[in-house]
Amino acid sequence: MRGLTPITRRRFGQGLGAAIALTEAAGRTRAHAGTHEVAVRIDDFTFMPSKIEILVGDSVTWENGDVAPHTATALDRTWDAGPLERGAHGRVTFTEPGEHRYLCAFHPHMQGSVLVRHRDGG
Amino acid sequence: MNTLCKSLALGMAIAVSTVAANANEPMNDLEIAHTAYTAGGLDIRYAHLALAISESDAVREFAQTMIRDHSAVNDAAVALITKLDVTPQDNALSQALVEGAAAKRAELMTLSGKAFDCAYATNELGYHQIVNKTVAESFIPAVTVEPLKNLLEEALVTFRAHEKHAEHMVAGLKCAG
Ligand SMILES: [Cu+2]
Repeated sequence: MRGLTPITRRRFGQGLGAAIALTEAAGRTRAHAGTHEVAVRIDDFTFMPSKIEILVGDSVTWENGDVAPHTATALDRTWDAGPLERGAHGRVTFTEPGEHRYLCAFHPHMQGSVLVRHRDGG
Repeated sequence: MNTLCKSLALGMAIAVSTVAANANEPMNDLEIAHTAYTAGGLDIRYAHLALAISESDAVREFAQTMIRDHSAVNDAAVALITKLDVTPQDNALSQALVEGAAAKRAELMTLSGKAFDCAYATNELGYHQIVNKTVAESFIPAVTVEPLKNLLEEALVTFRAHEKHAEHMVAGLKCAG
């Protein structure tokens, strides 16, 4: 598991089209090669979508739309995308297959999960 | 503890309903902005007291979240009033909140250990319940400036999350009995 890679608003904007396309495909495993970035919005104290599915090597970017700061933090504390103030983004690249459950360290009732599948479809 | 909490909630409820009942002088936008900002600032002061006294991780984490979130909301409020170039107006409800909180802080400062944790936690729950009710039922319907209404709605989402968080904190501390 690699740690958080902070990205700037400008760089995020350049990838926004791809991120939106991926959001539409969220929940489905993509068969084609190459790594991708999936966007999770934080609005009204909710991760949206709260459950996502990606392939090994893909990244997840969390963007906070709330006035209150949030985090996306692994339950086992092995990775942490945050703290994120309003408008900020945090990215984590997932290299380990399996279900990665996370919460907001500031508001622990906010929870989500990232299911990471092998590239061979396993 | 429960009595203290109820007396605070009751005092605030009376203050709120007294102001609300006075139909001749409904609160205007600038008074609502002042009271909402004041309520946030008072919760930040409670949180600093908790960080000075409590040794409970659950209480300290909650207090840090109150400081972080209420500061963010109040910063957004300052940005808005600066942009609108207006000055919030002090009013009877703000003054009642300030007086009630000063009395509550004086009580809390005499406590320590679990007695403090339970008194702080139940007060936070009661405080957020009454503030949320006031924001939802009195402030948001009354406010006329759209950006201020939007900010109050966003603040209410935040404060409702705090109310839920406070419920969990109170339950976890097992204060009753
Ligand atoms: Cu959060």
